[in-house]
Amino acid sequence: MPDGADDGKKSYSMGIDLGTTYSCVGIFKDGEVQIIANDQGNRTTPSYVAWTDKERLLGDAAKNQVASNPTNTVFDAKRLIGRTFQDPIVQADLKLWPFRVVSDGSPDDKPLIEVMYQDVAKKFHPEEISSMILTKMKLTAEAFVGQRVRNAVITVPAYFNDSQRQATKDAGEIAGLNVLRIVNEPTAAAIAYGLDTKSKEKKTKSGEKETNILVFDMGGGTFDVSILTITDTVFEVKATAGDPHLGGEDFDNRMLSYCISEFRRKHKSDPTRNQRAIRRLRTQCERAKRQLSTQTSVTIEVDSLHEGQDFNLRLSRAKFEELCMDYFKKAMEPVSQCLGDSGLPKSQISDVVLVGGSTRIPKVQELISSFFNGKQLCKEINPDEAVAYGAAVQAAIVSGTGTEEVENMLLLDVAPLSLGIEMAGGMMQKLIERNSTIPTNKSQDFTTAEDYQDYVEIKVYEGERAMVKDNNYLGKFVLTGIPKTLRGVPKIKVTFNVDSNGILEVTAEDMKTHRKGEIQITNEKGRLSQRDIERMLQDAEAHKEEDDLARGEMMARESITVYMRRTRKALEDIDSEKILKRDRERLEKKMEEVDLWLDEHSNKATKEEFEAKQRELESAMNTIMLKINRSESDFWEQQAILPENEKTIEQGGYFLDSGLDIRDLIEDPD
Amino acid sequence: MRDPYAVLGVSKTASAAEIKSAFRKLAKQFHPDANPDNAKAKERFAEASRAYEIVGDADKRKKFDRGEIDAEGRETFQGYPGGNGFTGADGFDDL
Repeated sequence: MPDGADDGKKSYSMGIDLGTTYSCVGIFKDGEVQIIANDQGNRTTPSYVAWTDKERLLGDAAKNQVASNPTNTVFDAKRLIGRTFQDPIVQADLKLWPFRVVSDGSPDDKPLIEVMYQDVAKKFHPEEISSMILTKMKLTAEAFVGQRVRNAVITVPAYFNDSQRQATKDAGEIAGLNVLRIVNEPTAAAIAYGLDTKSKEKKTKSGEKETNILVFDMGGGTFDVSILTITDTVFEVKATAGDPHLGGEDFDNRMLSYCISEFRRKHKSDPTRNQRAIRRLRTQCERAKRQLSTQTSVTIEVDSLHEGQDFNLRLSRAKFEELCMDYFKKAMEPVSQCLGDSGLPKSQISDVVLVGGSTRIPKVQELISSFFNGKQLCKEINPDEAVAYGAAVQAAIVSGTGTEEVENMLLLDVAPLSLGIEMAGGMMQKLIERNSTIPTNKSQDFTTAEDYQDYVEIKVYEGERAMVKDNNYLGKFVLTGIPKTLRGVPKIKVTFNVDSNGILEVTAEDMKTHRKGEIQITNEKGRLSQRDIERMLQDAEAHKEEDDLARGEMMARESITVYMRRTRKALEDIDSEKILKRDRERLEKKMEEVDLWLDEHSNKATKEEFEAKQRELESAMNTIMLKINRSESDFWEQQAILPENEKTIEQGGYFLDSGLDIRDLIEDPD
Repeated sequence: MRDPYAVLGVSKTASAAEIKSAFRKLAKQFHPDANPDNAKAKERFAEASRAYEIVGDADKRKKFDRGEIDAEGRETFQGYPGGNGFTGADGFDDL
């Protein structure tokens, strides 16, 4: 439940857009949404985690070293989350990933990502990888507001199914977050759009006006279309459709395949198995793709790509479009489907809102525009940040930390897929139709098919097909203890409950005995057990300590290096008459010794060892400073207390333990 | 299952706009976000959205008015499927 405000401070809730390739975090603060830049100054953070010999890297740091460490750099966890290892999509993606993915070997067939860390193979669930990215986003938000932030709204593609939503929520829990809500990405983007237009319209008109908009959200890995009706303060999703596996990465892969075949043709050698080469080439393809949104042609160049051969290719925008045209066309299908489901004609859509980096591609824009008979598209909201923006607003609404205007808003989302149970002959009996407004619940009565049957097995599925075998199996449970009687007599009430996150819970009750089934969907498929989650939470905590330790070491190392530099400078600047030759030599010797020690130990020393070395150096330095200053005023006596707001070198400031400001020595040797 | 018109508090001849506006009013009033930990409100919200699903959709509304589907959107006359250990009891009346 929401954190109480600690030490009287207002507690914040954040909105996180957990993307396939990039993530973004926003927070509602001082009456508006702030999209927060990470420690590298970037407003989006790569959804990357990497393990080096020494430490775990997150975000930009992980992505920047991918070419040199491809097998231990993990990305695309969102493409794995909530799926089984044998899922055809996972099997197809596997071939393109430089990191290893294996099955956990259990009947659940969960995928595990395997990396080498400190010479030991470590396996992670996709939820754990996502939790690490969420942790990074959390730290980014905390650095911004200067306090702990636990409450979060996390977004998922509208077309994510029940297992994928559950798994995303689990990832949040593993990251130690209190997940207030799972929100659909296009819906979040619509909030950003709605607030934006509202603030503009306020000046011109007022009164209840109904607007229908279509959100076209194509990011790095997933694609969603939603149609919403916006009235003054109500955002109502009418229909949603999409493809959970279509986005910028698919285009990158197409370009990559093309480049590889060109390389093969020119050089008669195949770089496919050269992970580093593939990674370098992929990075250049991604860059070229972005450039082709503004330029009509680019050159893809990679020096010494494979076996000493350079790669050099001129690629036109037309060629890029040709390579990806089937994907672009495929993206129009959900648009038609969504329109059909919403019951609205094209002409009733007053705005088409573009979200996600891939909507910058001119051909994509052209296709949408011509689908809507040449309509002008709405590009006013930032396609990379709109989802996090909307999530932050929703976080403020749910936690009651927004302004009155925001808290007065109501968001009515829908279930993306029909939900039902298996019936006679393998038929799907739908209880909840797709595009039903959530939260919702529905009950239906069922009975036994055989005489004296004392239990029923209830199998739950999601999907639109008539036969359950064509739909996605979610889980089952058994209701026992039904009084034995003739078939068709018992009355068993099955209730489907879909919460505001779009997550399903099923209950069954025998209406005669009022016996209820142990009815939480076990969700064998993909879902982690509570025990798994707890274990991962502990792992994550342990990792945090490890990370904190590494951070402590880094700071101690930095501190001694800075101290060395300053001492050296001070030594150069001190008037040579004021210092005894012997003292100078002794200090220089000490510094040389520390230098050597650093060369040898700087990669393995602990924080305490660094600090001990720094103290040795400090005391050598202080002895000299004492001698220099003794001859001067009573300066020394006043040294005990530091001036206000100043820090010792150890704390990152300029003062020696003795209270001497090292800057004085440098600027004013007297 | 209550009559969807009654749930939304509109007449059987209400216009689509009236139905929509009635639903939004109820939704705002009873949405779980505005009523945390209130089971009654939660049920009222679900009831309103179930009703709106029927009469807020032109096709379903017609079918309902003609008596072809019930307030839960199920066809009123249905075959009786057999076998497989667990079958529907659509012959039962609404609770």
